[in-house]
Amino acid sequence: MARRADEEYDYLFKVVLIGDSGVGKSNLLSRFTRNEFCLESKSTIGVEFATRTLQVEGRTVKAQIWDTAGQERYRAITSAYYRGALGALLVYDVTKPTTFENVSRWLKELRDHADANIVIMLIGNKTDLKHLRAVATEDAQGYAEKEGLSFIETSALEATNVEKAFQTILSEIYRIISKKSLSSDEPAPANIKEGKTIVVEGSEANTKKPCCSS
Amino acid sequence: MDDYEPGPVPSPRPLDRFGFVKPELNISPDGLIKGRSACEYEREERRVRKWRKMIGAGGSDWKHYVRRKPHVVRRRIRKGIPDCLRGLVWQLISGSRDLLLMNPGVYEQLVIYETSASELDIIRDISRTFPSHVFFQQRHGPGQRSLYNVLKAYSVFDRDVGYVQGMGFLAGLLLLYMSEEDAFWLLVALLKGAVHAPMEGLYLAFSFVPLPIFVTEVGDGYFRWRWQKWVGLPLVQQYLFQFDHLVREHLPKLGEHFTQEMINPSMYASQWFITVFSYSFPFHLALRIWDVFLYEGVKIVFKVGLALLKYCADDLVKLPFEKLIHALRNFPKDAMDPDTLLPMAYSIKVSKRLEEMKQEYENKNGKTAESAECNEKQKQA
Repeated sequence: MARRADEEYDYLFKVVLIGDSGVGKSNLLSRFTRNEFCLESKSTIGVEFATRTLQVEGRTVKAQIWDTAGQERYRAITSAYYRGALGALLVYDVTKPTTFENVSRWLKELRDHADANIVIMLIGNKTDLKHLRAVATEDAQGYAEKEGLSFIETSALEATNVEKAFQTILSEIYRIISKKSLSSDEPAPANIKEGKTIVVEGSEANTKKPCCSS
Repeated sequence: MDDYEPGPVPSPRPLDRFGFVKPELNISPDGLIKGRSACEYEREERRVRKWRKMIGAGGSDWKHYVRRKPHVVRRRIRKGIPDCLRGLVWQLISGSRDLLLMNPGVYEQLVIYETSASELDIIRDISRTFPSHVFFQQRHGPGQRSLYNVLKAYSVFDRDVGYVQGMGFLAGLLLLYMSEEDAFWLLVALLKGAVHAPMEGLYLAFSFVPLPIFVTEVGDGYFRWRWQKWVGLPLVQQYLFQFDHLVREHLPKLGEHFTQEMINPSMYASQWFITVFSYSFPFHLALRIWDVFLYEGVKIVFKVGLALLKYCADDLVKLPFEKLIHALRNFPKDAMDPDTLLPMAYSIKVSKRLEEMKQEYENKNGKTAESAECNEKQKQA
């Protein structure tokens, strides 16, 4: 399998999207990879997958993102996808306090199933619903500092901070990976699925499709 | 949901024949957009007459007919149940009609008087279930209310299962063909196993499975079993294990390619089993699969899955990881034509291997995962 010229990248980073059901994980993903937001989106069953290639710290990085079903019972299936992930976006809904309270349970879940040095970013989504806000920015900020997570608030609907959130976590992963790399000519292979770097060509990210189908 | 006033009725948009909003690109998902010829119409009429005769008034002749001519019934169901009789026939073949008659008033009791721990979870997903179908689009409208009632009633009826994401698509599909109460009992028939093996394991948080190798007799015809705890949607995990093996046996070249690209069925087939193809497949195909599923059981899901892969195998073996995942979630339109796909599915034999692999799965898990000794005495059947 040869890399096609237009699909060359220096790094392939696997990232998982986790958090309670209904916090907007799938729309964060579609906003980031296709610049789409779907008001009529269906709940995620199992796992979904999308990629985007972008520039991070002057390098071409392919982000391979796994979006997971949020309901607790699905974790038996979704937790298998934490393995080999270099980053995790842990999403809560700023209008639903319980989704923020459950963040600690998700952190435990990551500690149990993900690699020890996974980069975790806490994301408070749905900031567009200003009048319904129920989780204060400072509280989440304070919690993130205490737990050593980076933190950002986003609105997938208004496309606020979505790009920045992904850029930040990918940069952080890059810094850790490049520190480990011995030679700057040969980028360290991103560890996905037990060390195999999956070389992939082509990306469906640019083909416009309606986001809803029956 | 009683506190909520219905939202505004969504402005009319072009719908397909099943009530789904048509995608903007004017590509009909069901391929049925072209007008029906007079000849097709007549053929359909003849089919409906045959079916009506077979069912009898209100389903009165059905059981008799099935006993006398099971193969005729099977053949006709495989060709597709006429849409106008689908709701009734589904209730007859799933055994739900009998459950309904045996339990008068139970559904009403569950809906009106009981409370469920899952109410908020259900509400959260209501507008995310068939969001592009006209019946479910109006906020707190009749469709959303029925869906809520059925799911809530089930979550009370079976508190071990409660509510799990994915069940809404089953209930939603049924509600397009029958009343709330009928849909509820059909859900019960499926999950509790009125005719076929129960499927509640698709949604359970865990289940205990007896390990045959650890049965000890404690006298008096009683046995002590060693139980194996399976965690998280246990039946989904078993089905995925079985499907993985079937792919390797039926399509070795593709199976090998999947191994190389590190593709496993949980990446593409979980939804097939959890929602019995109702989540993202063209609706007219989903309905045809459901016709057979309710009569013949879950093996049709395996067969259709294999047929899809078989139909597309020549293309799939050339694709690398990402494109492969994309292709496995976006099958081409010609592959999803029921009249092509289903005959292919019927020709694939899986029953014997499914049973063998179920045993294999149970043995394998018995060796690796934690087992629990159960104190209860169980009389061996």
